Amino acid sequence: MENRLRHLNEIHLIKLAKEKDGYKAIIGDAEYKVSDLFVKENLICFRIDGELRVIYHAQDSGTRYMALAGEHYVVETVKARESGAKSTVPQEENSVTSQMPGLLVKLPVAVGDKVKAGETLAIVEAMKMQNELRAPRDGTVEKINFQEGEQVDALQAIVELADLHEKQ
Amino acid sequence: MMFKKILIANRGEIAIRIARACRELGIRAVGVYSTVDENAHHLRYMDDTHWIGDSPPQASYLNISNVIDVAGRAGAQAIHPGYGFLAENSDFAKACEESGLVFIGPSSNALALVGDKVASRNTVQKVGVPIIPGMRTVGKDSSGFKKMAKKVGYPVIVKASMGGGGKGMRIVRTEKELEASIAAGQREAKSAFGDASVYLEKYIEKPRHIEFQVLRDHHGNVAHLFERECSIQRRHQKIIEETPSAALDDELRMNMGEAAKKVIEIAEYTNAGTVEFLLDENRNFYFLEVNARVQVEHPITEMVTGVDLVRQQIRIAAGDKINLSQASIKQRGHAIEARIYAEDPENNFLPCPGRILYLNEPSGPGIRVDSGIYQGWDVPPHYDPILSKLIVWAENRDVAIERMSNALKDYIVLGIKNNLGYLKRIMGTSKFTKGDYDTHFIDENEEELSIPKENIHVVLVAAALLAAEKKGVSVESGGTQVRRDTTPWQELGHWEICED
Repeated sequence: MENRLRHLNEIHLIKLAKEKDGYKAIIGDAEYKVSDLFVKENLICFRIDGELRVIYHAQDSGTRYMALAGEHYVVETVKARESGAKSTVPQEENSVTSQMPGLLVKLPVAVGDKVKAGETLAIVEAMKMQNELRAPRDGTVEKINFQEGEQVDALQAIVELADLHEKQ
Repeated sequence: MMFKKILIANRGEIAIRIARACRELGIRAVGVYSTVDENAHHLRYMDDTHWIGDSPPQASYLNISNVIDVAGRAGAQAIHPGYGFLAENSDFAKACEESGLVFIGPSSNALALVGDKVASRNTVQKVGVPIIPGMRTVGKDSSGFKKMAKKVGYPVIVKASMGGGGKGMRIVRTEKELEASIAAGQREAKSAFGDASVYLEKYIEKPRHIEFQVLRDHHGNVAHLFERECSIQRRHQKIIEETPSAALDDELRMNMGEAAKKVIEIAEYTNAGTVEFLLDENRNFYFLEVNARVQVEHPITEMVTGVDLVRQQIRIAAGDKINLSQASIKQRGHAIEARIYAEDPENNFLPCPGRILYLNEPSGPGIRVDSGIYQGWDVPPHYDPILSKLIVWAENRDVAIERMSNALKDYIVLGIKNNLGYLKRIMGTSKFTKGDYDTHFIDENEEELSIPKENIHVVLVAAALLAAEKKGVSVESGGTQVRRDTTPWQELGHWEICED
């Protein structure tokens, strides 16, 4: 069984193989022996190379929130398609998105505007903090999906730039 | 006369903290909420609740006329503003006074005085409380700034007169940079506070932020409840506080405490107030400002002195005398507070609202959790990202650090990014454990504070095992654990209730 999981922008491949008294897990060159597995609700416990570990977890679709020994981790399932680096221009190069949900307080650009890399395209406010979203590259504003005063979710495209390739 | 009903003009953990004090005093608590806070945790602690407006704070928790109006309709005699929102708003205090409501805090005049940094510096200097060398008035032309900078010596700092939270501040190291920094400070001050006034003072290189808690009643009785050290800050916001401070000895502590009382007296300030000082490397202290409210970090003072500060606030507002003499107030043991925020320390502390999918709060000897959240709640994006506060007490600093570290490990908040791991890492740094730190701690210890790599593989293996479990692949491992599809009652077989 193979899993591709993303943690802090790094994608890891985890292989699990059933063994007679547990599991063998392989990540890159590292190999681990898993035994004494116990899973119940938000708790998963097991021994890994003999050491007992207690982990709390909760899942929100493809995102798993986990806590172990005082550290909190966010691990995302990576779909097979995503993990192959094929697309030439990554999605985020063509749009600006907010890392956090919040209120769209300013939208200083209009469709058709020519913008320079680093120019502010939108300002999103959440929890008393304003976050300026800047153009990832030079380009032309092709589409604006929200209006000032609207609530935006995390990772929703707010301003989209015209595709680089169409222009050429 | 003690109040029968108090309106709590706040939300989250502080609203609950105040409601608890009301309950213990036999006072009915009236809670308020905005649209998005309809199901907020603090409402479960109130005797009565009222909607005060739409979700944006300006429409609800900052809406003076709505708050006053609801207080009147609910039949409250007093309003406790908590911290943030309207807590230090002299217009609000005045509106309360004019509506015949008691504002649980200082008078609107005292609030206005301590809210103006230049005016309050000038006032405290008159009674011999040291202030950072610099301008006494708002600077006008650049030659005045230049002259003062030369007199106090570089580095200097340009600050907004109405400022706070680091906005409008500029550190200037050479005369060359001065003019541009003044202009930048004025622009930022204008946009943040609507007032471009800035002034200049000596920049303290490695300051420790040390504040004193003071109580003063309407009969002129005043007492301080010792210090809190709040030097661990990110973006000028405190995240860890402790008392006693490792930087003070008894003599310095006594001098600072007396200075704090002088500040409160000269300002004719009543109720609970905090006098903030900076302490430089040579252990000189300078008055910074007065925080005219109950502070986020008030619990650590409660833990070491045994004095309930919110109860004192209510009693003082009702006209009671402080029933504490300075000599009777002692610091016992050590307390630390950690602020739990919905924010991502791995991404510039960006706020992270969202749904809490799982929550487990720590408990045990010497552990206190002042929390405003519950499992299943959606943390809204409209307000401050504070979720809760974890406070520990122990007989000494070393044990308190260990206790905090372990309590943070037991504190689980899943579903939104948070700073629990980061706070735990602070406890483990050598600078913190030695008590050798200043307000630059977070910036200077970035590497030691980054997320450790050691357990990432364990977490990834756990995630893979959980995915396997979900797919229905048996992940049983050796038969020690029985998979139950039945309840224990079913397995017990036939049973009946005993008659006696």
